[in-house]
Amino acid sequence: MNVWSAVKTVMFTGSTLLFFFVIWIYNPFSPHEEYELPEEAEQIINDPKFAAEGRELFKQTCASCHSLRYDGIYLASVAAKPEWSKVEKTQGKPILEEKDGKLVVRGYFVPRDVYEAVAVQDLESLKATFGKVPPDLSTYYLARGPGYLYQFTLDPNKVIPGTSMPRLFMPEYDKEATQKVAKIVAYMRSVSEPPPGEKAKRTLMGMVTIGYFLVMGVLIWIYRKRLLSKMGY
Amino acid sequence: MLRRIVDWIDERTHARDLYREQMIDYKVPKNLTFPYVFGVLALITLVIQIVSGIILIMYYKPVMAHAFDSVNYTIMKEISFGWLFRHIHAAGANFFLAIVYLHMFTGIYYNAYKKPRELVWIVGWVIYFILLTTALTGYLLPWGQLSYWGTVVTTEIPASLADAPILKSIFAAIGETISIWMKGGYKLEDLALGRFFGLHVLLLPLVLLALVSIHLFLVRAAGISNPEGYEIDKKNEPEKLAPFHPYVTLKEGAVAMGYLALFFFFVFFNMSHFLPADNFEPADPLKTPPHIAPEWYLLGFYEVFRSIPSKFWGFVAFNLILILLLLLPFLDFSPFRSARRRPLFFIMFLVFLFSSMILTILGTMAPTPTNAQLGMFFTFLVFLFFLSLPVISFLEWGWYKARGGRS
Repeated sequence: MNVWSAVKTVMFTGSTLLFFFVIWIYNPFSPHEEYELPEEAEQIINDPKFAAEGRELFKQTCASCHSLRYDGIYLASVAAKPEWSKVEKTQGKPILEEKDGKLVVRGYFVPRDVYEAVAVQDLESLKATFGKVPPDLSTYYLARGPGYLYQFTLDPNKVIPGTSMPRLFMPEYDKEATQKVAKIVAYMRSVSEPPPGEKAKRTLMGMVTIGYFLVMGVLIWIYRKRLLSKMGY
Repeated sequence: MLRRIVDWIDERTHARDLYREQMIDYKVPKNLTFPYVFGVLALITLVIQIVSGIILIMYYKPVMAHAFDSVNYTIMKEISFGWLFRHIHAAGANFFLAIVYLHMFTGIYYNAYKKPRELVWIVGWVIYFILLTTALTGYLLPWGQLSYWGTVVTTEIPASLADAPILKSIFAAIGETISIWMKGGYKLEDLALGRFFGLHVLLLPLVLLALVSIHLFLVRAAGISNPEGYEIDKKNEPEKLAPFHPYVTLKEGAVAMGYLALFFFFVFFNMSHFLPADNFEPADPLKTPPHIAPEWYLLGFYEVFRSIPSKFWGFVAFNLILILLLLLPFLDFSPFRSARRRPLFFIMFLVFLFSSMILTILGTMAPTPTNAQLGMFFTFLVFLFFLSLPVISFLEWGWYKARGGRS
């Protein structure tokens, strides 16, 4: 390879890699919002053991307006309806979790149309109160990220001025308010992300897959070299 | 026993003869460079997309009430390895377009569209166009905010062309009719979702498969182009040729393994770009997301469209770029081939390549007046590339004749 070919190779390879790095990995030019996440809150959110407590807090404070259907949590007013448990069992699918080595039913995933048909009055009342139906939060951790959820839950109007979401946690009166919010976000994270054991399995699976292809690539290359030298190429 | 079965099949199919004729007796230039591998990588990605797509179809529900949940609950949480196939399919769509772009730029660089390969280029262009349509129809299926609003913006482009300078009222009427036809009504609902699903999983992949087969047939019929820009004389220069198998197959096989390693790195560890956060919010016709832009593979065209002040002329400009790409074999009629031997073409190729990259990156940025000015400048450079081709060809014909007809 002469110098000019080397220059061209470096230029084309470099510009292609840089382009895809900007487009696929880190784009400093695209607009994006960042929300501050205090260290203490981050530790709680990243610790799966707070998820169970966060679930209870969610049911107590959030479920009067928000459902989280992917974990079997529905509006408190809907869950209190006498026919609801029948609806869950006949129309829904059980969400299972492992407890002490046994699979137990954690809740039911009820299809959106069935849920909205049963909850039509409740959803309409919420719409009349807040101007819109408060969203189901099943995938909001993935959509908004921990920083946004923490800051918005703690002080909704600071993040979205004029929002109809009320402020429910007040650190000035409740010393544990920030921790409670973090625990709710930890719970939402646990619903959106695979459990730690599954995550580790996926990481191992990824590393084995990538390693397999790399080793195969090298082996094919060596085999080709030997074969071609035998063939006189 | 196995050998006897193979012999029995071979007696009836002559498969061994076909294999020898197509793989060993078929000779290719030895000097093929690394970018020639992008064709095979595109083929591998097509197979990946078809296999992962078939698995996803089994669990996806093309109905508004269930589409989002079937993707984000059933596939991602309920089905074993559903997450893996969704990741593969989403990453595969992006890799497919990336490889196709690299393949196209390689073809332009080595002038692989010139006689006798014009049809290879034209069919390749149709594949690219169908691929964009497939990507667009597939983008709606998860029924997230970006899916929904991305499709709304696309389907409303025809309705936004009322600022056309001539036949204004006719454009306004036709535009809206086309827009309603594309959406299946005034709102994007079940009708559109079902249609997009049908197109994405059945019609468009079948058309793609047929076109890819024709593309491959045409490549074999015309032979692989040469990076040095001349056709190797098979009789007088046999030392410059090598059998397709094992010379090329093993080389491309090794590179393909590296490609798959990179692909699976993204599948397992870096999906944040291929599954954007905004799309994890279910489609809401009453709430427009703050940042709405098409996927990266359309951003160059999008930047051309939005930086030109008139929507009609923006529409004309980005469509003209597509048409000029199609007409490339006829715009560039120079007797010389390959940028390696054409310094003027090489310079204009760089202008085209970097302008396309910069337009794409500009498309990711907020729409400011400076952004629009830069967008118009690089749009001009893209057009300059196409317009320079006949001029360069004309000059090169002069040099060709001055050399006594030797290329």
